Amino acid sequence: MAARAQKLTALVAVVLAFFLLDAPLAQSRDTGSAPRRIVSLVPAITEMLFAIGAGPQVVAVSSYDEFPPEVKALPKVGALLDPDTERILALRPDLIVVYGSQSELEKQLERAHLRTFSYRHGGITTTLDTIREVGLATGHRRESDDLVSSLKARLDAVRDRVKGRPRPRVLLVFERLAGTLREIYASGGVGFLHEMLEIAGGTNVFADVGRESVQPSVETLLARAPDVILEVRAAGLIEKSGSDERDAWAALSSIPAVKNRRVHLVRGDYLVVPGPRLAMATEAFAHALHPEAFK
Amino acid sequence: MITADSAETDGTPLPRRTTSSSIRGRLAATILGFGTVALATCVLAPLVGTTPISLTRALDRSIPFDQNVDAQIFFVARLPRVLAGALVGSALASAGVVLQAMLRNPLATPFTLGVSAGASLGAMLVIVLGGALTLGPLSTVPMASLAGAAAATAVVYWLATRQGHAMSTSVLLLAGVTLNSFLSAIIMFVQYIADFAQVYRAARWIMGDLDIGGYDTLIASLPLVLAAYVLFAWLPASLNLLSVGKDAAAARGVDVPRAQRLAFFSASLATSAAVSLAGPIGFVGIVVPHLVRLLVGVDHRIVLPASALFGAAFLVACDLLARTILAPIEIPVGVVTAMIGGPFFLWLLVRKS
Amino acid sequence: MFLIADRVTYTYNRRTGVEAVKALREVSVSVDRGSFTGLIGPNGCGKTTLLKLLAGVLSPDSGTVSLDGRPLARMSRRHVARRLAVVPQETHPAFDYSVLEMALMGRHPHLGAFQLEGPADIAIAHESLTATGTSHLAERSYMSLSGGEKQRVVIASALTQAPEVLLLDEPTASLDLGYQLEVGLLLRRLNRERSATMVMATHDLNLAASLCDTLVLMRNGRVLASGNTSEVLTSAMVRQLYDVEADVRVHELAGHLTVVPLGRLS
Repeated sequence: MAARAQKLTALVAVVLAFFLLDAPLAQSRDTGSAPRRIVSLVPAITEMLFAIGAGPQVVAVSSYDEFPPEVKALPKVGALLDPDTERILALRPDLIVVYGSQSELEKQLERAHLRTFSYRHGGITTTLDTIREVGLATGHRRESDDLVSSLKARLDAVRDRVKGRPRPRVLLVFERLAGTLREIYASGGVGFLHEMLEIAGGTNVFADVGRESVQPSVETLLARAPDVILEVRAAGLIEKSGSDERDAWAALSSIPAVKNRRVHLVRGDYLVVPGPRLAMATEAFAHALHPEAFK
Repeated sequence: MITADSAETDGTPLPRRTTSSSIRGRLAATILGFGTVALATCVLAPLVGTTPISLTRALDRSIPFDQNVDAQIFFVARLPRVLAGALVGSALASAGVVLQAMLRNPLATPFTLGVSAGASLGAMLVIVLGGALTLGPLSTVPMASLAGAAAATAVVYWLATRQGHAMSTSVLLLAGVTLNSFLSAIIMFVQYIADFAQVYRAARWIMGDLDIGGYDTLIASLPLVLAAYVLFAWLPASLNLLSVGKDAAAARGVDVPRAQRLAFFSASLATSAAVSLAGPIGFVGIVVPHLVRLLVGVDHRIVLPASALFGAAFLVACDLLARTILAPIEIPVGVVTAMIGGPFFLWLLVRKS
Repeated sequence: MFLIADRVTYTYNRRTGVEAVKALREVSVSVDRGSFTGLIGPNGCGKTTLLKLLAGVLSPDSGTVSLDGRPLARMSRRHVARRLAVVPQETHPAFDYSVLEMALMGRHPHLGAFQLEGPADIAIAHESLTATGTSHLAERSYMSLSGGEKQRVVIASALTQAPEVLLLDEPTASLDLGYQLEVGLLLRRLNRERSATMVMATHDLNLAASLCDTLVLMRNGRVLASGNTSEVLTSAMVRQLYDVEADVRVHELAGHLTVVPLGRLS
């Protein structure tokens, strides 16, 4: 009798353990095996997948994916506003990476008994955590941990390089109507751009604004008077200006950044994707802000 | 035998200024009064803002310009903005008056005939197709916007004059409304295929923005608006007569086809210039004419110049509110005009019923 | 022979051809100075179109309209408006003009391009309002008036044009009996006291009979008959015009011809 009770308890314990361990495995209902057919609607996560070695498992990406070069050959299935559900289903995926706000799509996919991974947009910490979660969800845990460690190391290295140097007040602009001072979008005191800037040895001139993006008026720019203007542009937008883009700032000559010719333009889509290349982006910022530290 | 018959009518006269007093006197008084208001607003507005500045320091020529933050805020940030507000407000209000008279409908706006939808589509196409180009000192967005407005004007004009060289105002209205719907659909489609950042930029453009940060675009728009005003000058008497009826106007010596063409093109020109400079700022073209009519009566010879002046003051005041009321956050000026316009119309409706 | 239409033709929507309606075919009419001419006929007979052609508001496709020997087409719009004025059937201004402002609009053809009305113009406007018994309404809103008052104001504003000919399109159509009488008496007074030539298009045969010395009978865009009222207004003519059997005789008390419809002809 006791032996039978023991076996029953053991059986129950094993079954229970199965269900309990099942639950916290990153926002997904799983079968336990690594996905072999991944569809990613989020470029940041696509980059992560390829960086941790899960590239071969990816079968389709979003319309905005550009990096790494391998994605160019893959089918495109839409993005945030226009995901092509039919096409996604036709590819018979076993994991779909969606935006956190695409709740309708998620519900649809769940009804089709498909696993989803929901992307949360956030700062550097969130990005690194996401890399780990992606590693876990795709069976590349070790590679993802290694990647996170190496990124952290690179970020620390940047911190060390610029330590002790005077921190300029920086206006980080990521969008502007070409040739003019209209429709300027700058980084506020929240988000990965802001955090990269701070690591790179700059103080965000809008650090007090609790939002990711700020649309300052000309008056606000003059009042905040940044020491450095760092303009960041994704390489996808080709700007064919007749003159140097930075000349648009000349009208605001009382701004120290303009007066001292510290207006920098950095190009590349690695700058605006919170993914594995954020260390590269932070290094680029640091180069622009503290060139002497890299001689 | 001819008897008065007030018994059957509403006996109390509506409160109004005496129309028998000389119109010359009233016109002079109106221009003086509204002119003063407009001037005062334009002079005071650059002095107010989120950053306190000292006027004496701003005007101090001994300080080099690139060291004088107060002067830069005054001359680069605020003054062009105030002047743009005055120009756009004046242009939209005048265009509103002219179209309301021509279409015989007090609810017509400068955007009724599709001009602003054309301007929006032009701007949107440039924003979305990545046309971040510059040609000379001007960005392509205002130019594309102007081109779109011109195209819309041409289409509506062609549709309205197919039956003869006299414009059919009902066809004009229908053409305008149809074009508005059609272009809105295209705009929606363009936004759909655009990437997210561009969609946001396009949506932001539609809310209106007077922060032009320099005088280039202002100077470029000036000739268009002045040309529109020269055309406007010929209209007021004809507008009075047209608003009573087309045949009645013709019987009183108005060259109706010519007056309609003049009204249509001048209003479209003013609206196009305003929208390409600052985006489609709504409600100015309808609130200002109504307010002015409440104050000075309905004679267009007074309403038109009064609206041009009051429109300037109105939009500058709205922009002032937009940039100071929730400081440091700036509200788009189109939101402020809407939030004033909506309740105003509600009040008008309640008052009338 | 003062205001003459000579074989005028007019087609609506001629240019597009869509729903083109031939309103007048080779119509000739001659109005004597100082006369009171009525244009009579069933709906769609073209009397309103003819009125507009006579006023110069529309231009005939063929034929000419001339005033005192000069073709209207050769005169500028303003010049025509100084001599011919129109009283439409209904006037609905889009804005809330005062009665005086409405009356003053008649001065437009007499003013230069940028000229504003002066004291003389205002005096003329007041005089016209007095002539129509509406001067006490000068400061009132036009839209707030009764039907009869409105129509009298519109007549006043036509008078401020100081025209030689007044053309009226169904001036009493939307008025009740009392106002009809009022306006009718006013018109007769203007015709007699001011020697204003009047041309009136109307449905109301009795009104025409009471006011007009000359009648032009129209049907399907053509003139059936024209001449002295007493000669032309007969029951035979009424039958021809309206397919209606009517009794036409002089009413003893009224002192003019009256038309009483008796029945429809099958």
